[in-house]
Amino acid sequence: MTQSAVHIFDQIRDLCGVALDRWHEANEAEVRADAALSDVRRMVASLIENGCRLASVFAEDRTAVTEDFLIYYVFDHPDDERFLVVRTVVPSHMPAFPSVAAEVPAVNWQEREIQDWFGLVADGHPNPRRVALHDNWPDVHPLRKDFPSDTVLPPFEGEQHVYRPTLGEGVFQIPVGPVHAGIIEPGHFNFAVAGEPILYLQLRMFYTHKGIEKRFEQLPVNRAVYLAESVSGDSSFSHGTAFCQAIERAAGIEIPVRAKRMRTVLLELERLYNHVGDIGAIVNDVGFGVANAHAMRLREYLLAVNEELTGSRLLRGIVCPGGLRHDWNDQQTQRCRESLRGFEQDFADMMQIIDSSDSTRDRLEHTGILHPEKARDLGVVGVGGRASGVDRDLRRDHPYAAYDEVLFTVPVYQEGDVLRRLRVRVDEIGQSLGIIRQILTVLEPGLHLIAVPPLPPDCVALGAVEGWRGEILHWIRTGAHGRLDRCKIKDPSLSNWPALVEAVQGNIVPDFPVINKSFNLSYSGTDR
Amino acid sequence: MIEYTLSILVHLALVLLLSPLVTGFNRTFKARVQTRRGPGLFQPYRDLYKLLRKGMVIPETASWIFTATPFILFVTTLLASLLIPSVTAQAPLSLFGGVLAVVYLLALGRFFLALGGLDTGSSFGGLGSSREMTISAIAEPALMLAVFTVAIGAGSTNLSIVAQAGLSQSWRFLAPSQMLAFAALFIVLIAETGRIPVDNPATHLELTMIHEAMILEYSGPYLALIEWAAAIKQLVLMTILVNVFFPFGLSPDWSPVPVLISLGLFLFKLLLLSIIVALVEVTNAKMRLFRVPELLAIGFVLGALALVSTFLFQG
Repeated sequence: MTQSAVHIFDQIRDLCGVALDRWHEANEAEVRADAALSDVRRMVASLIENGCRLASVFAEDRTAVTEDFLIYYVFDHPDDERFLVVRTVVPSHMPAFPSVAAEVPAVNWQEREIQDWFGLVADGHPNPRRVALHDNWPDVHPLRKDFPSDTVLPPFEGEQHVYRPTLGEGVFQIPVGPVHAGIIEPGHFNFAVAGEPILYLQLRMFYTHKGIEKRFEQLPVNRAVYLAESVSGDSSFSHGTAFCQAIERAAGIEIPVRAKRMRTVLLELERLYNHVGDIGAIVNDVGFGVANAHAMRLREYLLAVNEELTGSRLLRGIVCPGGLRHDWNDQQTQRCRESLRGFEQDFADMMQIIDSSDSTRDRLEHTGILHPEKARDLGVVGVGGRASGVDRDLRRDHPYAAYDEVLFTVPVYQEGDVLRRLRVRVDEIGQSLGIIRQILTVLEPGLHLIAVPPLPPDCVALGAVEGWRGEILHWIRTGAHGRLDRCKIKDPSLSNWPALVEAVQGNIVPDFPVINKSFNLSYSGTDR
Repeated sequence: MIEYTLSILVHLALVLLLSPLVTGFNRTFKARVQTRRGPGLFQPYRDLYKLLRKGMVIPETASWIFTATPFILFVTTLLASLLIPSVTAQAPLSLFGGVLAVVYLLALGRFFLALGGLDTGSSFGGLGSSREMTISAIAEPALMLAVFTVAIGAGSTNLSIVAQAGLSQSWRFLAPSQMLAFAALFIVLIAETGRIPVDNPATHLELTMIHEAMILEYSGPYLALIEWAAAIKQLVLMTILVNVFFPFGLSPDWSPVPVLISLGLFLFKLLLLSIIVALVEVTNAKMRLFRVPELLAIGFVLGALALVSTFLFQG
């Protein structure tokens, strides 16, 4: 598979005009290289010019070992199945790195996170304010190794976040949240409106910052899986799988075929139940309760399938390094297949109800348009991206688990409105059912789990999974005594929140909830 | 005199007790259509009982308007209900005013409700008030035109006389003007009672609310009064629709047998109308807010056409 694929990164390396040292293929999914700190801007610019996408930027504190910090730039390219991870060294006596956020708005928040968490200054960042640590935090950098995780901070009275002022004749602001009327997570939305039309929206996230990345550094690997599962509750299995893939790569093991296939089935089941729930929630937000009632019924139906296969309705506690904790038998496979056949029929009926409602279509079409060029610039991933012409899907572009043995298409629309985000979900449900059907046909008895050898310290690896919401990245470095030294988590929501700001502009206030729901981003995954 | 007082009391009791049931029926019926079980027919009564016993949180920024609003709204709505014939063709307070009084009593309540929404200074209250006034600015004229159409046929704006006139010519509702006026009034009913496609009474999304946004700051007994008033207003508008357009079976006086028949028929007519309203709600998505005036404009045009056709088809 890897042999036949075009290795475009190797060509780009010669084209990009920047010295990329120690270029090597670390494993079948990753090319690694080093770049000088002064070359970072040129390197990012030329890689992007050559069609690469900057998927993530993150830092690591190595002061205990080498007196410096490391910053990693993760790229991918549609014609290469591997990721390119470029590393650069930031000396601890000059804690600053060149910001690329002005040219690549996609990493705006991620660079500011590095500022907040490591105290490394993003030189030339267009908006260098705090993002992850709120303004009432004192000047601490929690992801530095010299910051004990049990630190109790004194209460802080200081400067609060200053929002862009709402000025103008007849312009007023509507502050919403962080506590909301529904059972949802906290986030602050500050609307500037002229009557009903929204002039602009300012977001404030990270109210549920739990220090998950710091917590990873204290847990043994096996228990860390549970933590990975709880990064974002509706993507438990995807997050868990991404983490386990990183561990397995670091250990250099290949999991059994049956485990790969089972993971594929469960990843798609997670996509199914979330997409169905979202479709119901979107139509419910425009007041079409009947369709929502059916969607909730179907979601419940799928949760029962999850339980039948794994014993867990939300697919928790199933995935582990080396495969899956429990196997299932042929009888269960058979029941799953039958259930999904019934689901397919009911889902088609539900979509007929939705499609035949003109009033619903009227509300969804042309609402909350995210233009393709904005989606590209902001690095929007997943459903939101594919509805706005971003033709990326890790399952196809960087196959993992058993995705290289199944046939499926990736739905992409150009219009970028709420209706298209709904349609992407509908199309993906069809594809997911196809994927599961193909896998269940070839699912043969075999091992569902192999033992993972104890991990030597200082192994690094990247795990990538296309969760139902979009691209999930887990990057790990192993430490001593079978623990982790660093775990970086990149949830798709982090990339997509800024897109919501763009999508609501010019829409009217009462359309905001349905636009927000059409992205359905995770607060917990963003805040970590 | 005693009989008169008695009729008012009976009427009040009927309106107060029946109005939550109409709301309860609407919710339960919609739940059944959505394959849900629903909270039960009598939930609105339980809600009112619960709210009346609760304590209240009154915003520090609120003035006397906030406190006065629930009472004014409740009293005006209840008064309006006394001007409409429900089980007898004679409305209890019909001597005091006709349909204009009904419209303006409801408008007075709404005016204070909008003020109450603005009074606390919360941005949601303001949002709700501005939306409510936008909608009522078109819904009110449509309501006037529709009832004028009926009034011209009867030669009076007094709803008792209109209903009695209707009783004597029971097929009048088939006249084009009456049908147009009924359609106009039906649209007004949907808009004024905050039903889908205009407003969604079941939503928790504060940004999309109209009626609910105005009353977000109310709690406890005040909220109970407002909720009850909203239920009564719904019953008032539904009663106008069923008794002015289809007055058959209305008892001319308070003799027991005709009154019981009349009551039964009244409930039956309300039931049918509730089902129609609920079906409109479950088969439609909520309209985009800026489309709502278009819908109400249709109601207005229907009302105007009704009025014109009264004269066209008079002979």
